[in-house]
Amino acid sequence: MSTNGLVLDALGDWTRRQIFEALRRGPRSVGDLAGDLPVSRPAVSQHLRVLKDAGLVVDRKEGVRRIYSVAPDGLAGIRAYFDSFWDEALDRFAAEARKERE
Amino acid sequence: MVEAIRKTVLVDFTPEEAFELFTARITSWWPVRTHSYGGDEVKNVVLEPHVGGRLYEVTAGGEQDWGSVLAWEPPRRLLLDWQIGEACGTEVEVTFEPEGPGARVVLEHRGFGASDPRERYSSGWDVVLATYAESSSKNA
Repeated sequence: MSTNGLVLDALGDWTRRQIFEALRRGPRSVGDLAGDLPVSRPAVSQHLRVLKDAGLVVDRKEGVRRIYSVAPDGLAGIRAYFDSFWDEALDRFAAEARKERE
Repeated sequence: MVEAIRKTVLVDFTPEEAFELFTARITSWWPVRTHSYGGDEVKNVVLEPHVGGRLYEVTAGGEQDWGSVLAWEPPRRLLLDWQIGEACGTEVEVTFEPEGPGARVVLEHRGFGASDPRERYSSGWDVVLATYAESSSKNA
């Protein structure tokens, strides 16, 4: 699934995970987010674009500011991310067990 | 409420050995390069073997928590409170059952609800009631 791939890429980056985590605690503006993270405002905007393209966050205009929040169905994306993560992790777990048995 | 993730894997290990590999030797199989805060910098992953114990990664820079132990019942069951970023506040339960000469390891990652505790609570009840409905309809 291409959407799943996008979510994986989107959350594969440490800064983007921090941004997403911050948004799970409540809607924020780009300036707000940049103030809390060791990255520039333009960088935060770029990360938000990736998260938005992956369907994880949505934005709305409030006066001159743009407010970002977690997409209502963004959690389904998180679930998909962990679904493939656990496949990978348990494959490695089983492979380690096999290796030790040999 | 987003449905729980459930995975099953069979290993040629006793439940005791599988539990030990999963917990004490988590560093040997966890995909840290792609799934950790520190990536390649991670030297060790530690799961403290008791209720309230921490699950964390170790880098030269220090430690970063991933979660904590809610239930520690070797060699059959492990329950973790998952605190990693995007899945903060979810739960991971792993059970180890004998299966032939080996073990069946079942992992359930659940609680992909909202981060608002009230919503998590009500989602929890959705699950309880859905399970109740399912088991009662099976009995009918």
